[in-house]
Amino acid sequence: MSDQLAMAMADLEETTVLNLVRQRLEAGDNPMAILASCREGMTQVGKRFEACEYFISELIMAAEIFKQATALLSSRIKTDVMGGRGKVVVGTVKGDIHDIGKDIVVSLLKAANYDVRDLGVDAPPQKVVEAVKETGATVVGLSGLLTVAFDSMKETVAALSAAGLRSKVKVMIGGGSVSETVQQYAGADAWGTDAQAAVSLCNRWIKEVAK
Amino acid sequence: MNNEALYQERFNRIQKAIRLEPVDRIPAVYMGVAFAPRYMGMSIAEFCTNHEATVTMNLAAMDKLGGLDGINLAGAGRITAILTAMWLSRLGVPGRDLPPDSLWQVREAEVMTIDDYDFIIKNGWQAFLGSYMPRVIDMAEFGEAMGWLMANAPRCVNTYRERGYVPVCGAATSPPYEYFCGGRSMQKFIFDLHRIPDKVQAAMDAIMPDIIGQAIGVARASGSAGVWVGGWRSASALISPKLWDRFAWPYFVKIVNALVEAGLTPVLHWDQDWTRDLGHLRELPAKKCILNPDGMTNMRKFKEAAGDRMAMMGDVPAAMFAAGTPEDVYNYVRDLVRLFGSTGLILCPGCDAPINTKPENMEAFVAASREYGKAA
Repeated sequence: MSDQLAMAMADLEETTVLNLVRQRLEAGDNPMAILASCREGMTQVGKRFEACEYFISELIMAAEIFKQATALLSSRIKTDVMGGRGKVVVGTVKGDIHDIGKDIVVSLLKAANYDVRDLGVDAPPQKVVEAVKETGATVVGLSGLLTVAFDSMKETVAALSAAGLRSKVKVMIGGGSVSETVQQYAGADAWGTDAQAAVSLCNRWIKEVAK
Repeated sequence: MNNEALYQERFNRIQKAIRLEPVDRIPAVYMGVAFAPRYMGMSIAEFCTNHEATVTMNLAAMDKLGGLDGINLAGAGRITAILTAMWLSRLGVPGRDLPPDSLWQVREAEVMTIDDYDFIIKNGWQAFLGSYMPRVIDMAEFGEAMGWLMANAPRCVNTYRERGYVPVCGAATSPPYEYFCGGRSMQKFIFDLHRIPDKVQAAMDAIMPDIIGQAIGVARASGSAGVWVGGWRSASALISPKLWDRFAWPYFVKIVNALVEAGLTPVLHWDQDWTRDLGHLRELPAKKCILNPDGMTNMRKFKEAAGDRMAMMGDVPAAMFAAGTPEDVYNYVRDLVRLFGSTGLILCPGCDAPINTKPENMEAFVAASREYGKAA
């Protein structure tokens, strides 16, 4: 890693991260460079998660530290330079009000420089369709803890098809007991066991679109 | 054979499975709290307001399915009040907050505060609950539900026996991690573990005597030999070894050892994936406990890690009951029986067969249990 801030971010040293951000701002450092250091640290967090050195507990803590760091930077960075990697619509599907997994996905996608439209919980299919139309998102992430969410996921994918959007978006699902069986049942493109998988899927799909 | 003789035969079969002795037929037990009313035609809203419905619906579903030896957790009383007490969280209740035939849902929110840890350390668990519960439930409703439960739970658990079924567990508890995580919300609790670990640990230590004492008291009053020891957010897949080793596992060990010393059978009801830490199960008393996973923990690795010391009750996945086919269920049961053979296996839905279980999948579970269980 290139600097102390990135290392502190990767090591989840909350106080050190926030102090370093403040110090670099006071020293006149470019806020975008500071943000880049934080993102580098978050990338390392993702790698440690994939290597089973970190777990969900560390992803939650990392997302919190990153959120606080970017809050310190927000007044000095133009919002239109955030989220330049791609647009993603994320929500917990209709009939399910669980948001822990969905919120971690949103945080990690934002940290990875994605522009995320968060639809909250209990999001009906039409709300997802409208969000895709409005944002032009190329990825949709559907979350659900309960098994009753499987039908809502299926209905949401069907609604995207009915709106003529299915070929324009990739749909990933996750949460609770989601599995390959559920992916097939819902007609999604992929499923993930954890929030980091959502970032990996987006990275892969965005690269495919760029080719 | 009368019901008492049937109960004895089934009880002995399950006890042999716990002791890892060969059985004449692999026992199969039921678990499907919300599936039962859906299967039997009762709305979930009515189910949530009827004290007796948990027992009557479970028994009706078990009778209809046939061929089951017992039930994992012999539920009784109003499910939403009980879940509120276990999660320290507000619940969305069907017919009141949610559509009448939908599933109850825990509302994830930070209700317990950081100051509450100090209160618990200073005043204890019971004093805390007295001040806390009004934040998550109407106390008139809660008092009525708990009063009914205390007066009727032993009778309810015994009803299963009178009908010939073994209630494997008649009491439920969980380590402090789960209570605090529910009350604080998962996100805030993870922050606490990083920011104020000593305070969290002190509060956990403070409530342990009450948790253990209550579990033993309820189990003895129920007449059932088993106690359901729940873990979901303390799962290995969710927290790092550093946190798990300090805040989760030591408390499971203390609870399990206390229950075993009291002559009870701890049933580790573990949702999510615990594969990473299965080796720790060797630290628990041999042939005295049951692992009760939900389909996410690797059973092959369990067999290698602790299969010579502990029985497994499970673990047909909830997703398979809801979205799979009867063939999927049949094959899953077959593979479990092939993996375990005739020792240390009690067939059961993983966690809880969900509300939208396809009836044909539950019927396939029972049929497969009969077919493959006998051939083991």
